[in-house]
Amino acid sequence: MNHAFASKLAQRAFVIVCILFVLSYLGSRFFTHIDLALYGYIVGTLVFIGGFLYRFSAWAERPPTKLILKKGLKLLFRRGTSKTSAEHLLTYRFIWNRGWFRWTQHFLVGWGCILSALVTFPLVFGWMYFTMEDNGYYHVVAMGIDVMKIKADGLLAYLFYNALNISAFMVIAGVCMALYRRLKNMQARAEQTFFYDFLPLYMLLFVSVTGLALTGVNMFAGGVGHPVLTIIHQFAVIVTLIYLPFGKLAHIPFRPMSVLARNYREHYGAQEQKACKACGTGFVSAEQSADVVEVLAKNDLSFRTEHGYHLAELCLPCRRKYRMFRFTGIPTHQIDAKEANQHANG
Amino acid sequence: MGKQVLYIEMDNCIGCRSCLAACTQCGGHDNRNRNYVMDVDPFHTRQTIPLMCLHCVNPACARSCPAQAIQIADNGAVLSALVEKCIGCQNCTIACPYGIPKFDQEQNLMYKCDLCYDRTKDGIPPMCASVCPTNTLQWIDEAELARKQEQHLLSNGKWVASQPFNPLEGETNVRISLPGILQGREKLF
Repeated sequence: MNHAFASKLAQRAFVIVCILFVLSYLGSRFFTHIDLALYGYIVGTLVFIGGFLYRFSAWAERPPTKLILKKGLKLLFRRGTSKTSAEHLLTYRFIWNRGWFRWTQHFLVGWGCILSALVTFPLVFGWMYFTMEDNGYYHVVAMGIDVMKIKADGLLAYLFYNALNISAFMVIAGVCMALYRRLKNMQARAEQTFFYDFLPLYMLLFVSVTGLALTGVNMFAGGVGHPVLTIIHQFAVIVTLIYLPFGKLAHIPFRPMSVLARNYREHYGAQEQKACKACGTGFVSAEQSADVVEVLAKNDLSFRTEHGYHLAELCLPCRRKYRMFRFTGIPTHQIDAKEANQHANG
Repeated sequence: MGKQVLYIEMDNCIGCRSCLAACTQCGGHDNRNRNYVMDVDPFHTRQTIPLMCLHCVNPACARSCPAQAIQIADNGAVLSALVEKCIGCQNCTIACPYGIPKFDQEQNLMYKCDLCYDRTKDGIPPMCASVCPTNTLQWIDEAELARKQEQHLLSNGKWVASQPFNPLEGETNVRISLPGILQGREKLF
């Protein structure tokens, strides 16, 4: 089986496309409910999968990435994964700790995009559709199963029809906040570039505005230009999807790595702490210390000291003291004195 | 004016810690300093030496980062972790041979000296160098660096070293001269 594919990338692409095909076959009741007006999105998604796998494979081959992926995945079913996942991927608690403004903008953009993806992809692949068997009532069909019956003019139905409008408003508000920050914050202004930082924001804004305009022309202009606008919106979404794995938005599919990293640190940290070779205090898991030494060796970086140990085996204060030794010849790292306070109050 | 570099003349440090205070005030540093002032021989002398990111040409922190969150700017500055990419594994803190990167558990984010990139990209000295009262930290161009180098002809041929061995682990963008280099010289302050 391993020889059936030219590469791992080809194998992964084949498996993912097969899964999509089977899910669509079952979900759309054997292709009887595929919405062909949305076929452009299917093509866009397939190109996205190719691009994502290409980017992912190149990235996963880097020695440090490979290590964390391999060890992190083994620990995936550890206790605490669900809590970490919720905090890192759903509530963005760590961003809240960076500031309420950034959390609000990120929450709006993030959840706006997730919500719209949850509506769009099931519709595109026929995993979800609506039928009207009784007059005035819609049946919501998910994966070929009738899941609920809703009143066509009820509140729930209203939310369903307008889910993409709501998410568009969320994304527009979030993007405007992000743009405001990028125009005002001096640090952001120093480091930002048009293509890395602004382009994805403009793309999301364009997708949201054209999507909202579809509803707008229907409600207020009798549907003038609707066919052209549909194509423009579809084109914008497809370009954004294809671009996603290559720019700043790539942090969306790669963010789950932070859950793996947390598991990796917590699991091995509880097992065995690495004792500093100079002062003896545990400062990191023995596993991670060894892993970093290995990764550095693969990059031809070997920080051996004349005492025979690697610099990654010293705790951080001792490593700084060791540098004083190298600068002056006085063995500061062997003097049993606590490092002076290094935190200035700003 | 050619490329400018941060140059550390360790002999001058008086341990005032102005560089720490100034670091907190750099845009984006969020009132927290990213550099260190180390005691050399704590129970015997008051000698101190400032220690900050030396901005390695081949930075171990970036090589060990699984998320490619540590980028290198056009002026050689090894930047702080990109906030959207950093996954909080702390590999960089273990890898750095000088023990520089700091980690914020709450924000799940590494932060380190970025050579005040918002200033240095426009030729303005980094905060630490702009406040140092004794010229320990200097922001100078390469011509001036060469002039300094000519002044200090050391017996071992390495003008940065008063030590027989190389004090650093590899080539760095920040240049240093070791304590002792100014002995017998008249200082301007």
